[in-house]
Amino acid sequence: MNKKDYNYGPSQHDHDAHNDSHEFLFPTYEVGSLPKLNARVKAARSQQLTEEEITEVKDLAQRYSLQAEADEALDILHHQKKNPIKLSTAEEHTLADFNALLYLKLQEAVGLDFVYDGEARRSEMYQHVATRVEGFERTSEMIRSRGPDSWRMAVCINTPQLKESSLDHLIITEFDFVQQHRQKPAKVPIDDPYMIAVMSDNRYYLELLKPEYGNDPGKLRYEAKRVFTLALAKNVIRPQVEAVVAKGAKWIQLDIPAATLDIGHIPIMVEGLNAVVEGITNSKFSLHLCYPRRVSLTEKKGYELLFPALLDLHPNINHLSLELANADRYENDLAVFAQYKNQRSFEIGVGVTDITLERQQQGVIETPEIVRNRILRAANVLGDPNMVYVAPDCGLRQLQLDRCLKMYEVMIEGAELARKG
Amino acid sequence: MSFGAYLTGPFGQSQQLYQARNEAKRGRGSSEAISQQSRKDTQLIIQQQREAGLDYVIDPMFNVFYLFQPFAEQTNEVKVGPQENWFNNNIFYWRPQIQGPLTVPDLQISFTEKYLHLDELTENANSMVILPSPYTLLALSDVIGYANKKEAITNLAEVLHAEATHLVSQGISRIQYDEPAIVVKQSLGSLTVEDLELLQRGIGICGRVAGASTSLHTYFGDAGPIIPYLNRLPVDCLGIDGTETSFNDILKHNYSGKELALGLLDARSTSLEDPIDIATKLRIVAEKTHPKKLYLTPNTGTEYRGFTNGLKKLGLLKQVKEMLQ
Repeated sequence: MNKKDYNYGPSQHDHDAHNDSHEFLFPTYEVGSLPKLNARVKAARSQQLTEEEITEVKDLAQRYSLQAEADEALDILHHQKKNPIKLSTAEEHTLADFNALLYLKLQEAVGLDFVYDGEARRSEMYQHVATRVEGFERTSEMIRSRGPDSWRMAVCINTPQLKESSLDHLIITEFDFVQQHRQKPAKVPIDDPYMIAVMSDNRYYLELLKPEYGNDPGKLRYEAKRVFTLALAKNVIRPQVEAVVAKGAKWIQLDIPAATLDIGHIPIMVEGLNAVVEGITNSKFSLHLCYPRRVSLTEKKGYELLFPALLDLHPNINHLSLELANADRYENDLAVFAQYKNQRSFEIGVGVTDITLERQQQGVIETPEIVRNRILRAANVLGDPNMVYVAPDCGLRQLQLDRCLKMYEVMIEGAELARKG
Repeated sequence: MSFGAYLTGPFGQSQQLYQARNEAKRGRGSSEAISQQSRKDTQLIIQQQREAGLDYVIDPMFNVFYLFQPFAEQTNEVKVGPQENWFNNNIFYWRPQIQGPLTVPDLQISFTEKYLHLDELTENANSMVILPSPYTLLALSDVIGYANKKEAITNLAEVLHAEATHLVSQGISRIQYDEPAIVVKQSLGSLTVEDLELLQRGIGICGRVAGASTSLHTYFGDAGPIIPYLNRLPVDCLGIDGTETSFNDILKHNYSGKELALGLLDARSTSLEDPIDIATKLRIVAEKTHPKKLYLTPNTGTEYRGFTNGLKKLGLLKQVKEMLQ
């Protein structure tokens, strides 16, 4: 790589500027979530807190110069330790505010170039949205999903609409807070409509369209999912996007963990995304994609599964954040983006750290040198280092907080090494 | 024409079983509490199947997290690999890592038995156990140690046949081999002649089990274009997913000499089918396609929409069966 062509230092770029172009190579960001503070979770559940859990909060506040801001939160935690009772709404808000502020400041202090609040106010990505949709009802029981782990599915029984006043809880409160406290540019994570559609029971649209497509089950399933996704895009996701763009959001990331769940339905995902971003020109849009299914039962593998459908993405979406470290097949996985780049070129947020629990259990984490090599491998395949951003593979909510911090550090050090060539 | 009905896969967990599991996960419950709740729920669902007059009664498989789990965990040469979505569902399986060739087990040894409540199941009823079909097992596993896929499926089918034979010796009267992969490949347009030959070879080995009837149950995909092929396989019953396969395609064929299990109840939907409509469809199928026996089934296990929805679908099986009698 010819260093002369590029600026390798994260010098004094204008953090408030629209970040379509950056002044140095390999900017870094977090994909979305961080694990909530243990003390906050236990306090919310009225469980007995330990002194260590409170000390963790105190130490973090000190490390990121938030002692004054932590006072009220620590008072609540101390009270909970003595007498675990149900928190008041005001107390829950105080703890959520502190948690969000801590994660924002932590990301800035460690050196990420684009930041947010670690999704500190959200329960879980699907439930965060599904519980605020009119036209959804919940299944009677938790449904088993991954081994013994379970989840609550929403059933669509009418046209999905956001519940009244739900925008505040969904996005506005957290975004306003981040805007008020951030010093670096923000990247706002929002669920994509397709994920909500594929994880929900699409009863309403299947019944609605049955008279039209009843003799063709495949077509019925496709069209019902398509109409459902578009309704979610228009009525549930786009209002969130419009709200934060109106308040100054310059970069919105749409999260798509389930892009290849149904290989034949990928064009629906693209159509849903386009319906979200169409006509919104004053913000950058990116997608975060989890690793495609390994067993596709087709000849295509990995991110190849998304092509050619991705060529139809709205031009407003010009950045893809990809899970890559887990497979560590950068050359193979990114080849398809290089192959299609004359037709459609995307910036790539390269996943450089494996966020799986297995790696945490093994006590293994990448070194800065491994990260550097992964960044350069990606830049080499894509043929343009300007197109490469650096990120973990996915959100970090399943991991321990100290591991998340270490992951940020190796990522940032690795990016610095990569800038040196 | 004789009509019947039965369940074809894992039943949705109850909220009580979820709570027992959740408490154990958080260190506040015990594995005994899970086992007790699992047995209690198993007894209830078996009882419900008997009261509904179903032709075969299955263990609701509350102790099985994915189809390959007993095989992957209990077979020496197999390791549990990385997780993967179970087809297009938000339910996961772990890819078996098969280091072949596998030793075909002694008939006294079973990989399935410890996951099921056979003592509850075999009491006073025709009972059915569900095993993976050798083709789906091969297609969704990471396999090494064989010269080619033909050799691999031969070995897998031998192991499955030994398992089926053991289960029959324990009082099981029907074995259902689950075969989603072949119809999903068909739907995706990636099915090859080799795939069909592999399926044929595998089922040729394990499809007949002395002392029991067998079924090849396809789901999650459109079987339509390959029904003639599936119809020739050496099993007693062919299962077709009627929520993925066009009704007209089902009617195009003659199933005489074979039983037909039609998955007309969508286990992946909380929408409840109209029993009159279902009964009408079954009468048409019986009249036009002449199967030896025609069963109404859900297209797959009811685990995808939970316990209550599973009970509703089971109620529909009963209602339609009564209408047809």
